Amino acid sequence: MAVFENTQEIRKESITVGFLADECRERFALTPLNEGVGREKLITDKNLHRPQLALTGYTKLFSYHRVQVIGNTEFYYLKSLPMERRIEAFRTVLMFDVPCLILTSGNGLEPELLQIATERGVPVFTTPHETTKAVYFLGDFLDDQFSAYAPIHGAFVDVYGAGILFVGRSGIGKSEIALDLVERGHRLVADDVVMVTRKGEGILMGAGTTLTQHFMEVRGLGLIDIRQMFGIRAIRFQKRVELIVKLEEWDPATEYTRTGLDDDETSLLGVELPLVRLPIFSGKNITVIAEVIALNYLLKHYGYNPAKVFAEKLHEAIAKKSSGKGRTGDRSIPYFEHDFE
Amino acid sequence: MLVKTVTVRNRAGIHTRPAATIVKKASQYRCEFFIVRDGFRINGKSIIGVMMLAAEQGSELQLEFDGPDEAAAAEDLVGYFERKFDEEF
Repeated sequence: MAVFENTQEIRKESITVGFLADECRERFALTPLNEGVGREKLITDKNLHRPQLALTGYTKLFSYHRVQVIGNTEFYYLKSLPMERRIEAFRTVLMFDVPCLILTSGNGLEPELLQIATERGVPVFTTPHETTKAVYFLGDFLDDQFSAYAPIHGAFVDVYGAGILFVGRSGIGKSEIALDLVERGHRLVADDVVMVTRKGEGILMGAGTTLTQHFMEVRGLGLIDIRQMFGIRAIRFQKRVELIVKLEEWDPATEYTRTGLDDDETSLLGVELPLVRLPIFSGKNITVIAEVIALNYLLKHYGYNPAKVFAEKLHEAIAKKSSGKGRTGDRSIPYFEHDFE
Repeated sequence: MLVKTVTVRNRAGIHTRPAATIVKKASQYRCEFFIVRDGFRINGKSIIGVMMLAAEQGSELQLEFDGPDEAAAAEDLVGYFERKFDEEF
C-alpha cells in the first residue's frame, strides 16, 4: 500500500573535489600531489572507476566522469612502458574530463605525468591505503554523499530497539503517542519532521533536523523539549527505520488485518518496509499496541511468526479430526487433577 | 491542487508567532497544506515543520493546497504572507 506517494527524494547532484579533499584528508589520509589544482571540479557520480583499459587506448565505454582510482595494476602497467609511451597512455586518460585521480598504496606520480595532470587542471591525490581498502572507504563516503533523503511528516521512536515511524494526518495524535512511549521508557528520535536517508541498499536511517531535534509540539500545551524534560535516556540521535505504523480514523469500509498472515508493506525512498495500519477509536491504548507491534516485529525478526505458528496448529487440529481423533473445543487441560489454583 | 508562490516579506522572517498563526489558520481548513522550500516539503499544519524551514526575509516558498476548501485556504494564507504577517505596516 502506498503511504508516501507524495514524498520527493532529495539528492545532492554533485560535490566538489575540494570538498572531497578536505573531508578525506584526515579520514583516509588523502594527500594532494598538486595541491590547489582543480578544487572546483565537480564529482557527479558516487561510483569509482579504475581506468585500466583506457590506459591501453581502449576508451569506448570509459566512465571518465567518475573518480579514477590508479591502483597497483595501473601503476605498474604505466611503469612497464617506456617513458614516451607512458606519457601517451597517461594523456589518453586525461584527454577526457576526469574529476580527479587517486593513487593507492602510497604510490606517487613521475613529475612528467604530474605536470600533464596539472596542465589539464586535474587534481591528483595519493593515499597509503591499498586499493581494496581505499575503494571501500571512498566508495562508502561517496555513497553517503549522494544518498537520497526526504523529510517525512511523522513521529519516530525507538520502541524496544525497533525503529517505528508513526505517520498519519496532522492532528491524529502522533506526537501524543510518541510522548506516551517516552514516558514508558522508550526513546524519541524525532517528531514532526523526520529526515530519512537511504544508506546502501535497503537501509533507511532516520534522524531529526539540527533546528528541531527533540522538540515536540503537544496540542494545547505548545512546544516542549523532550531531552530537557526526560533526560538523555529518552532520546536518540539516529535509528534505522524498521516499521511504519499508519494511524487512521476507524473506517468501517476498510478491511484491517485480523490474522497478521498477509504482511502489508509500503515503499519509502524505494525501500520496502513492513506497514501496520492502525485504526484508532476511543478506549484503545495505541501506546500499548505500539509496544506489542515492536515486540511482534522482534519475534518475527528472530524467526518466530505467531500468525504462522497458529495457522500450523490449526492445520494439525484439522488433520487430527479428519483421522477420527480430537474433538471440537478440546480444553487445553484435559483433567483438573485436584489442583484448584 | 492549488500551488501558490509567496515571498517572506517581513524583516524577522517566519519566527515563532507567524509560524503559530500559519499553522492555526491552516488547521481551520480541511484541505491538506504543504510548504515547499529548496526541495523540502513539510506539512504546513505542523508547527515544528514550519519552524524548521527557518525562512528568512526574501525567501521564496511554494504553498500547496489540496482538498475541498483549497481556494479559501489559499486566499487566507497567501493574504497573510502578503500582509507581512500583520507585523509591519
